[in-house]
Amino acid sequence: MKYKETKKNKLLSDLLRNHGVKIYDDLDQGIFPKFLIPSRSTRNIIYDKKLRQYVLGNNASIRNSKNISQLRSFTQLTWLAFFANRLIKEKKSSTLRDIYYSSQAFSIDFEDQPESDNIIVDLESVLSRPREDLHIFPEERSSIFGDLVIEYTVPGYEGKRTNLSDHPDGYLIGPSLSSAELIETSANLVIAIEKGGLFTRFVEEQVDKKFKSIIIDTAGQAPRSTRYLLRRLHDELNLPVVILTDGDVYGEHIAMVIKSGSANAAHLRELTVPDAKWMGVWASDIEKYKLPTIPMTESDVKRIHDLKKDPRYQQGIWKSELDVFLKLKRKAELEAFSKYGLTNITDKYLPQKLELSKSL
Amino acid sequence: MSFEKESFNQISPSEFFYRNRDLAGFSNPTRSIYTSIRELVENSLDACDQKGILPNISINITSVNQQQSDPKYYILTVSDNGPGIDPKHIPLAFGTVLYGSKFGLKQARGMFGLGATMAILYGQITTNTPVHVTSSIDGHNQHEYEMLLDIQKNKPIITKHVIRKTTKKGLTISICLEGDYSKAGSKIRDYIYQTSLITPYASIKFNDPKGNQYKYDKITKSIPPPPTIIKPHPYGIDVETLRRLIHDTRYKVPSFNKNILEKIYKELQIHHNLHYDNYEILRTIKKRWSYLSTQTKTLLSIMLCLKLNFDQTLRIKVDDIDIINNTLTYWDYDQSKSITIKLDKSNFYYKYLAKEAKGDTLAMFLTKQFQRVGRHTAEKFSEFAQFKPEKRIMLMTNQELVYLSDSLQKFTDFLSPDHSCLAPLGETLLSKGIKKFFNPDFMFVIQRKASAYSGFPFIVELGVAYGGSIKGTKLYRFANRIPLLYDESSDVVFKIINDIDWNRYKIKNDSPLIIVSHICSTRIPYKTVGKENVADRNEIERELKLALQFLARKLSSYMSKKGKAAMEKKRVDLYFTYIPLISKFCTELSNNEKEPNYKKIFNEIK
Repeated sequence: MKYKETKKNKLLSDLLRNHGVKIYDDLDQGIFPKFLIPSRSTRNIIYDKKLRQYVLGNNASIRNSKNISQLRSFTQLTWLAFFANRLIKEKKSSTLRDIYYSSQAFSIDFEDQPESDNIIVDLESVLSRPREDLHIFPEERSSIFGDLVIEYTVPGYEGKRTNLSDHPDGYLIGPSLSSAELIETSANLVIAIEKGGLFTRFVEEQVDKKFKSIIIDTAGQAPRSTRYLLRRLHDELNLPVVILTDGDVYGEHIAMVIKSGSANAAHLRELTVPDAKWMGVWASDIEKYKLPTIPMTESDVKRIHDLKKDPRYQQGIWKSELDVFLKLKRKAELEAFSKYGLTNITDKYLPQKLELSKSL
Repeated sequence: MSFEKESFNQISPSEFFYRNRDLAGFSNPTRSIYTSIRELVENSLDACDQKGILPNISINITSVNQQQSDPKYYILTVSDNGPGIDPKHIPLAFGTVLYGSKFGLKQARGMFGLGATMAILYGQITTNTPVHVTSSIDGHNQHEYEMLLDIQKNKPIITKHVIRKTTKKGLTISICLEGDYSKAGSKIRDYIYQTSLITPYASIKFNDPKGNQYKYDKITKSIPPPPTIIKPHPYGIDVETLRRLIHDTRYKVPSFNKNILEKIYKELQIHHNLHYDNYEILRTIKKRWSYLSTQTKTLLSIMLCLKLNFDQTLRIKVDDIDIINNTLTYWDYDQSKSITIKLDKSNFYYKYLAKEAKGDTLAMFLTKQFQRVGRHTAEKFSEFAQFKPEKRIMLMTNQELVYLSDSLQKFTDFLSPDHSCLAPLGETLLSKGIKKFFNPDFMFVIQRKASAYSGFPFIVELGVAYGGSIKGTKLYRFANRIPLLYDESSDVVFKIINDIDWNRYKIKNDSPLIIVSHICSTRIPYKTVGKENVADRNEIERELKLALQFLARKLSSYMSKKGKAAMEKKRVDLYFTYIPLISKFCTELSNNEKEPNYKKIFNEIK
């Protein structure tokens, strides 16, 4: 297991070095070096039915150091490759904000963080690797709880193991957890929940024990490190993933992004869990469970119409639930179950839906 | 209940200006010392210009009591090498208000010759000391006058008059006045600096009360030709001016006197001692009519219309012949009153009188009274205005006059005004001045064609200078070669400059930019008597705008050239900044020890 993480780093280092060698040789021969960057424009984002996620097409743009308007961003990109290489070598991690500030030590001037974030996505595209592999992370906000033993690989903690059920507030899904090896678990299910409040309720109600599950708080749209962890839990530990969101169109899409990725990350693989199941709250549950509702806003309705054009929403519950939402023009939050008692959701709703999801 | 009787008194012009001296720029000691210098220097420059003399002006300000603090008494002396003033005119020229040689239509710095007298008046009011005027017109005899102004009577009081021998022509005026040099100093120095910019053919020397000397030598010896006096241009003449011009050409009824009667007798070949009866006289007149002079015919017509005999004609004076109402008004000396009588329209002699009094035809009036109007233009205009060219000008009604004035504004085929009455500096001289004063990287000047507002011709000259020794943006305004220093923001030039979108011409705020504007006109439409800002007349605005846009385009193409060069430099700089960085990063990234030899790449970009 340990070997796997080291090997991954080795592969990535080689990839980065190859780019470095190419630039070095060009310069040495008096040629302006360039990068080939797959285009991330909407026209080049296509849905791959086989992979069940969005991918980039064949269009690519050239970033040429000879072009004066690209020279600066070319230099920034080279610097980022250089800096990521150092991070990997020294087994250090960096947040997106760190990158923005670190650049200043090398007289690389990013005008603002969005500019440096953009260059990071460029490098992801060039390497077809998520930034997390490059040890670059966003600010963490997502948590995990459940009987899962991990072994750290970060410097100073190498070999140290932790059980993720040791702390009732859950563990932050940060760089050290993301890069940790997954050792063993008694769970046979992963439940991803959209909201921190429900996550706490689930821990309190011992959902992890009652349903032999690992509980993950996605804190809204799941961050990439969380999606990557979900993928690993599914692939490496063979755990099915179910998703519980608010009963609205945004909730449905949160589930879809975990299942098949976002257009923003079309240049990346391994961030999706194609077998993940959305078990609620469905639009049809609103009537079925007589949940208190709130009316949809205009932007909710607009969002439904947008998603109806998405190829992933053309069949199954994805399509039918969207239609029901559109018919109801009302939505319900996860907390709506509290009308029938605080534990109603864990006692009644969850078992029923879990049972149902097996047949999905 | 009774109303208090209001009394009406006439006041003399001196008194009027004494009471309203703020209007003329004498509102406080600071402003007054500045205005006084201006008025005297401008008079000197005007005098030299008229005679084509390269001016040498010397200005001295000394304080009467060094120790005192401002405001205090100063002695202000301005000397020139001009033509001087005829000694017999000196008392009136400097001792009365509104006496001057500048009422004609030609360009001069001063308008009415009012300013110098105002300065003298102000000096006298504040210090009660007489003015000293020294003048020589022949370079041999020099007249020195010392005099005071009698404000109520608008008359000079001469306290001293000496004649000395001299070798130099010119005029020196010395005034003692209350002023505040510590406050006015910078304005005065600005004024002298800017005056020498717009008068590059003059040498000006200034000794300030602190013992400093400021000296501006002439940059050139060529002097623009002196302006001439001319008639007004028809474009933009208002009804009032039109009425005045018509009045000036009005038929002047000759008056009777003994000498004229003798002449009439002679022409009629009769003897005044003999008593002819009326019938005989009438017969003689009829017989000799075609041999008589116009004046005699006119006078005889009057006499016969009024049914007078020769002796009686000496007892009246004809004031007016109103041919529209067929009346004649005369003053009767016997009765001491004005009498108006209705005349018989069919009377032969009345018809003669009426014909004479009808005045010029419209076509004649136009060609005689205005510049640039010939027979052809006059006829074309008449057709345009739908008047008969032979229409008599005196017969025009009020409405017709208004319509005539309107048509003069609308008619577009008048030749542009004769600018021989104007003395613009010219593009060459203006360039020389700007180059010498600002040492810019780029400059361009333009002189627009002469145009007219309200019949006064004017020429706009504009220059821009950029970069070089210039720091910040500054506007130098001149009118008839006078620098305008106060109230910049209410001036028409300022308005035009602000109306322009400078971004369009690639000029940023606070660029090193100098704009020099010079408006020449026989009458600059100043907003105040103090000559500080030019009012916004549409015609002037238009010319300024066109001139400025022209220069802005020139400046803009200079800026793009300059911008391209700067861009090119920046481009090369970017390679020199970034390529070494790329080299450094890829060396570590590719596990190399030594940096690549990237110097070769720079050969490609140069």
